[in-house]
Amino acid sequence: MTAGLSVRAGSTPPARGKRKLPALAWVGAIAAVLLVLSAVRVFAGATDLTSSGTVQAALTAAVPLAMAALAGMWAERAGVINIGLEGMMVLGTFGAGFAGYQWGPWAGVVFGLLLGAIGGLLHAVATVTFGVDHIISGVAINLLAPGLALFLSKLYFSDAPGGGQKQSPRIDDAQKITIPGLSDVLGAVEDKRWFFVSDVAGMLRGLVTQVSLLTVLAALLIAGSVWLLWHTPFGLRLRSCGEAPVAAESLGVNVYKYKYLAVTASGAFAGLGGAFLAVSSGQFRDGQTSGRGFIGLAAMIFGNWRPGGLAAGASLFGYTDAMALRGSAAVHALLLLLGIALVVVAVLQLRSGHHVLSSVAGFLGVLFGFWYFSSDAVPAELVGAAPYVVTLLVLGLASQRLRPPKFIGAPYLRGQGK
Amino acid sequence: MPTEPAGGEPAPAVELTGITKRFPGVVANSDVNITVRPGTVHALVGENGAGKSTLMKILYGMQQPDEGVIAVHGAPVVFASPADAIGAGIGMVHQHFMLADNLTVLENVVLGSEPGSAVALDFAAARRRIRDISDSYGLNVDPDRLVDELGVGERQRVEILKVLYRGARTLILDEPTAVLVPQEVDELFGNLRELKAEGLTILFISHKLDEVLSVADDITVIRRGTTVASVSPKEVTARKLAELMVGTALPVPELRESTVTDRPVLTVTGLTVTGADGRRVLDDVSFTIHAGEVLGIAGVEGNGQAELVEALMGIRAPAAGRIALGGRDITRLPTRRRREAGMGYIPEDRHRQGVVLESTLWENRVLGHQTRKPSSRGPLIDIRAAKADTERIVRDYDVRTPNIDVHASALSGGNQQKLIVGREMSADPVLLIASHPTRGVDVGAQAAIWDHIRRARAEHLAVLLISADLDELIGMSDSLSVILRGRLVADHDPATVTPEQLGSAMTGAEGED
Repeated sequence: MTAGLSVRAGSTPPARGKRKLPALAWVGAIAAVLLVLSAVRVFAGATDLTSSGTVQAALTAAVPLAMAALAGMWAERAGVINIGLEGMMVLGTFGAGFAGYQWGPWAGVVFGLLLGAIGGLLHAVATVTFGVDHIISGVAINLLAPGLALFLSKLYFSDAPGGGQKQSPRIDDAQKITIPGLSDVLGAVEDKRWFFVSDVAGMLRGLVTQVSLLTVLAALLIAGSVWLLWHTPFGLRLRSCGEAPVAAESLGVNVYKYKYLAVTASGAFAGLGGAFLAVSSGQFRDGQTSGRGFIGLAAMIFGNWRPGGLAAGASLFGYTDAMALRGSAAVHALLLLLGIALVVVAVLQLRSGHHVLSSVAGFLGVLFGFWYFSSDAVPAELVGAAPYVVTLLVLGLASQRLRPPKFIGAPYLRGQGK
Repeated sequence: MPTEPAGGEPAPAVELTGITKRFPGVVANSDVNITVRPGTVHALVGENGAGKSTLMKILYGMQQPDEGVIAVHGAPVVFASPADAIGAGIGMVHQHFMLADNLTVLENVVLGSEPGSAVALDFAAARRRIRDISDSYGLNVDPDRLVDELGVGERQRVEILKVLYRGARTLILDEPTAVLVPQEVDELFGNLRELKAEGLTILFISHKLDEVLSVADDITVIRRGTTVASVSPKEVTARKLAELMVGTALPVPELRESTVTDRPVLTVTGLTVTGADGRRVLDDVSFTIHAGEVLGIAGVEGNGQAELVEALMGIRAPAAGRIALGGRDITRLPTRRRREAGMGYIPEDRHRQGVVLESTLWENRVLGHQTRKPSSRGPLIDIRAAKADTERIVRDYDVRTPNIDVHASALSGGNQQKLIVGREMSADPVLLIASHPTRGVDVGAQAAIWDHIRRARAEHLAVLLISADLDELIGMSDSLSVILRGRLVADHDPATVTPEQLGSAMTGAEGED
């Protein structure tokens, strides 16, 4: 038996890098990030970096991204690449505009969800039943959806009161909630401008003040997805379709059914993201999504195809979005923040032996630092580009240990198992 | 209805009568008759392409027979899908594991028949059940590990557990030892005996005759799609079985006289490769292969062999070290230039790297030789010459195929492998990297491939041989090194070493400290 035991020891590949950081390390990392934020805030004098208003704006911006990312995760966990998220979001924005102005925001949300689900179903029919390349089908949906939305908008909104050819009448916003006592106390602390303490208070205040019910719903959906995908038979089967469909089929899992469900759900989440976007900005507008479906995909990849990770990714992109909205001064401070973050990445990568990546990150970090110190403001044209630049940088530098579902994007035909 | 055996003997666990299965142009099985007694290990032996796999797919409901009757415990059944077979208590352990790497053992096992309710998978119950099965059959499986982290032997036990979890009483094991080292094989046989002791029936498909003789209670031999003999292991020798299987004697991996010269062909110094996470998967490896020498590398899979081969072929960039081919530094050369410099490569996984299954044979012949004669003329592919040369390979290497315009997927594994060997031996390579050259091929193809390697060696080819088949390694190598955790840890003389010694060196049981 000793021989057998040593075989097992020998045939086991040496343990890979730490899978999970202990809780304490997470707390430490978050505290460190907050410290850097506060330091930059004080140094650059950019209050917006940590103000409750920024956090509120970031949250609003992050929710549609998070929904798009969640949508992407649902589809890709079942092995279907859904690059059509953008188009499904567009359908969602239209649905929200159409139903929202007539029957209120929640009807808008439901309609957005339904239209998105139809988009998802279309993608499922193309990719699962007809074996169309996932990218091609997704691109087709991305081309089809905006055209369809514009056509319908001309049809229904041109003559509606307050509507136009390219926009819907106003939609009422969803209810917002504030935790009364806590918000005021945190507000008072925030106004003191104390180092670190006020920053933390400001950020917390943003999380408990005037939070839209849509945001709460989004958080619940993310938590619900964790449960559904990782704690139920349904979720296990769905994920197995993305990891090893042949194995799943050999165990009697109806792979087609789960792929259909996953991709339709994906469409529904994307539609929901679009609906949130329309409702929170008060109307449907043509071109409203402006690439959020793709940024959502990026957030999903950043999040390693996991709900917690994609929520973090969406928050990051939402935050830069909010900074762009706050204007030039905030984005200027963001330069310094980016520079610091890149240098940290450079050090981390150097320690794990990735010299090229480390030098690239280090070089960019120094460049951003130089840019910050040699200028007083960021050109207005570049302010709006900030979220996209951050998306690029994050994906380029963080995609080292990602583990996509194994059978992703591959066509699957029933009975192809050997 | 098959006639029931007379007397008090229990009805056979599985009985196949007159099974015939035709595919367009081929008869895969014709008039197959097998009777499997309950509570026994029944071996089904035959060359690859003899129709064993098709037969098992029929028994497992993956394909339907054109003629014939399947009876389970005396009652005739019709299996429309694997689910029906599972329902009748038949489970299959596939040769290519059907496991999702990114899921845990538990998730893999319960998939499709999960305990608990629709809104909450009962992980605790599943864990308990898996531990129970694992303990009662000595499978030693930890339900909470990620399959990705498991070795080959463990994965196989997970597969067995998967079938047992579904209540199978008859297990089909398709070539279960193909990927195991000797100790793992012993362990597997221990597991099989325990399963048998619990009253389970095992159908064991193999072409390794020694193994079959040591573990089986009954043996059925299948040749060219039909059953040619049913024998008892007590009355038969390996040689006799081999004759039944192929009509000729069993080939032996052996080299005759030494052809080793003192002219180094491949010199590797301090080769180090790091993985994606920065860990050293290949650590300071140095060796030299001379013209006419076969260097064998023994090791449990996943100890750096794949990385070594990839670094040598230029598929993976080394972190440090130098590779020289015939005195010329090729460390920085891309793969195509290396191949042009005379490196041939028989990859480990022929479906992933060796052939394009959906391309014709002659197109596969061109791949890797697309810049060289006779496959190309200037910037264009010379289709006529490529086809002519493919005909030559098909003839010289005995690739059994209707013609060279069929897709590679139409060939059996052994024939695909012979095509690859033929291609890699074209254009007079100076170095051949052979990764598991005879894995999953039948006895005839195996003998042919060994023969080709021997002949090329006599013509001063240098060969790096990596294999999990220790007899092959010992028999075909002029020198032997053992790789463990990315390092070459020991050298052995193939003339004196035994598979057992090699096996323990491979697992680090000796010489580690």
